[in-house]
Amino acid sequence: MGMSTGGGGGGLTNEINVTPMIDVLLVLLVIFMIIVPMSRKAIDTQLPDPNPQPAQPNANPDQIVLEVLPDDKYAINKEPIDKAKVFERLKSIYDPRPEKIIFVKGDTMTTYANVVWAMDQARGAGVKVIGLAPK
Amino acid sequence: MGMSTGGGGGVKADPNVTPMIDVMLVLLIIFMITIPQINAGFTAVPPEGQNLKPHPEEDGDQVLGIDDQGRYYLNKQPVRNEDLETLVREIYGVEGRDDYIMYVKAHKDLQYLKVIDAMDKLSKNGVRVAALISEQSPGTESLVESDRLRPGGN
Repeated sequence: MGMSTGGGGGGLTNEINVTPMIDVLLVLLVIFMIIVPMSRKAIDTQLPDPNPQPAQPNANPDQIVLEVLPDDKYAINKEPIDKAKVFERLKSIYDPRPEKIIFVKGDTMTTYANVVWAMDQARGAGVKVIGLAPK
Repeated sequence: MGMSTGGGGGVKADPNVTPMIDVMLVLLIIFMITIPQINAGFTAVPPEGQNLKPHPEEDGDQVLGIDDQGRYYLNKQPVRNEDLETLVREIYGVEGRDDYIMYVKAHKDLQYLKVIDAMDKLSKNGVRVAALISEQSPGTESLVESDRLRPGGN
């Protein structure tokens, strides 16, 4: 741009070169516009039936219940399992299994993040439907 | 500005960018102000996960927020804990409503009791599906193929 090199002969009315500033502003603007409607992500869970049928103890002995115990401990169908092995175990259960349903039962003392972690692992292992076990 | 009226030198007349900058700055400021407003009053850090399903935001989505103290926010408005059930029933108890999904954005370090309590209230008042809002762990991608196919779709 010739103007910026023109060197102020006329007086103090040199114009600032605003092009880089516009560049920066445009980038900021675009960033903000992208962040605002940023796609939200979630894990869908089926809530327990509010009116459970009276007789269903062990109606389906085949179901998989993943328990999230306090202190970052986990159990699949009452069988304690290492956190590191949860994913592998789930994968070996669900790969051959046609019904991709899991029930996640979190202990009331555990943290929410652990429960979500467990659901996350289950989804990764191929589970399609996550049911929340009632309290 | 003397320059803009000059223009005798040739085709190289610089456009006057001042109005454009004005507009940009205003837009920028608007965005900077609205973003914190969107989350006003409600701060929860959702848990991180890897295999998450994209749920683009839509009008009419109902979001239940639970902050780190276990306080409830319905669509970002604080609600008293004892009012939650009534409010949820007003939304989901309407006849002819065709979606029974509620988004739950809860703080990651909450005791699970607080979350399951809320779920309990939701399920009693017509909500069938709770979508637990989580954040994608940086640098990971979902292992579930359908999550990756169309990032914007369901």
